[in-house]
Amino acid sequence: MRRADGAAEDTARRFLQAVADGDGQAACRALAPRTAEEIDAPCAESILGESLAAPSPRATTEVYGQRALVTFDGDAVFLAVFPDGWRVVAAGCTPRGEQPYDCAVQGG
Amino acid sequence: MKRIRDNSLGLFFGLLFLIVLVGQAFAGHADFNQQQMAAGMEPVTLGRYLTSASFAADVSENWQSEYLQFFLYILLTVWLVQRGSPESKKPGEQGRDSDEKQKVGAYATAESPSWAHRRGFRPALLSNSLGLVMGLIFVASWLTQSVAGAAAFNEEQLRGLQAPVTWAEYLTEPDFWNRTLQNWQSELLAVASMVILSIYLRQRGSPESKPVGSPHDATGVEG
Repeated sequence: MRRADGAAEDTARRFLQAVADGDGQAACRALAPRTAEEIDAPCAESILGESLAAPSPRATTEVYGQRALVTFDGDAVFLAVFPDGWRVVAAGCTPRGEQPYDCAVQGG
Repeated sequence: MKRIRDNSLGLFFGLLFLIVLVGQAFAGHADFNQQQMAAGMEPVTLGRYLTSASFAADVSENWQSEYLQFFLYILLTVWLVQRGSPESKKPGEQGRDSDEKQKVGAYATAESPSWAHRRGFRPALLSNSLGLVMGLIFVASWLTQSVAGAAAFNEEQLRGLQAPVTWAEYLTEPDFWNRTLQNWQSELLAVASMVILSIYLRQRGSPESKPVGSPHDATGVEG
């Protein structure tokens, strides 16, 4: 039922690393369109101001259909499949029990 | 032509099943893509939808309830009766019947299946094969529903930025029991309706009905 998907983890890791490296343009390219819309323009500058931790070396990935959840040591990243591959739907997410995750960045 | 006519009931339902399954595939695909678009995502291909957990769960949840219905009906009509129903044995005739009536062992005829002549597990297996196969398909379908349902449920969970659950956790989720019970109740209602209504109502020419002129309390008489 569960399968690790390297591609989803790669995208999440690349996104968080781009933010940590100060490469806002690369980070914004990894966002899903609706999520990018929610970031104040210009995205490449605003995304660097979000509280997103650098990716930890270890992560667990859960993929179900068109969606994936990559959990790093600090927080989690939600992703979805688009024609060009995985895109970040929400990031900097922490669990809140039965409630949806609380995310620093997320689409509308 | 005669061969087709002699098997028209099975052929008709088999063909209709395939047509309706194709219809479900297209409708389900359109519905799935509506949800994708609403969530700001791209539509998926029909092929991807047909291999999705969502389609598998939708198909298997209906299959399991249909096979459960027939499994229960086949088995319970051995022991339970309904006075006046053409679907029932006559009151007093409950049970597995004698070998003579069932034409097994020494009572098997030249036309009986070969396993009806044998001794040991073969006649026992043949004697219970219909219920057994229906029961096995029910269990397999329900298991498929639980596995595919869990994956489809988790896709929804992730869409709503919620944590996925394990298969064991999914078995305690309202989603699993809602999918299961909504199908069971409709099947049980259909069976109860058939048993009761066939006491008083008739369908001329149908073996599922009593002959039109049969009294309401005539039991186990098929037209």
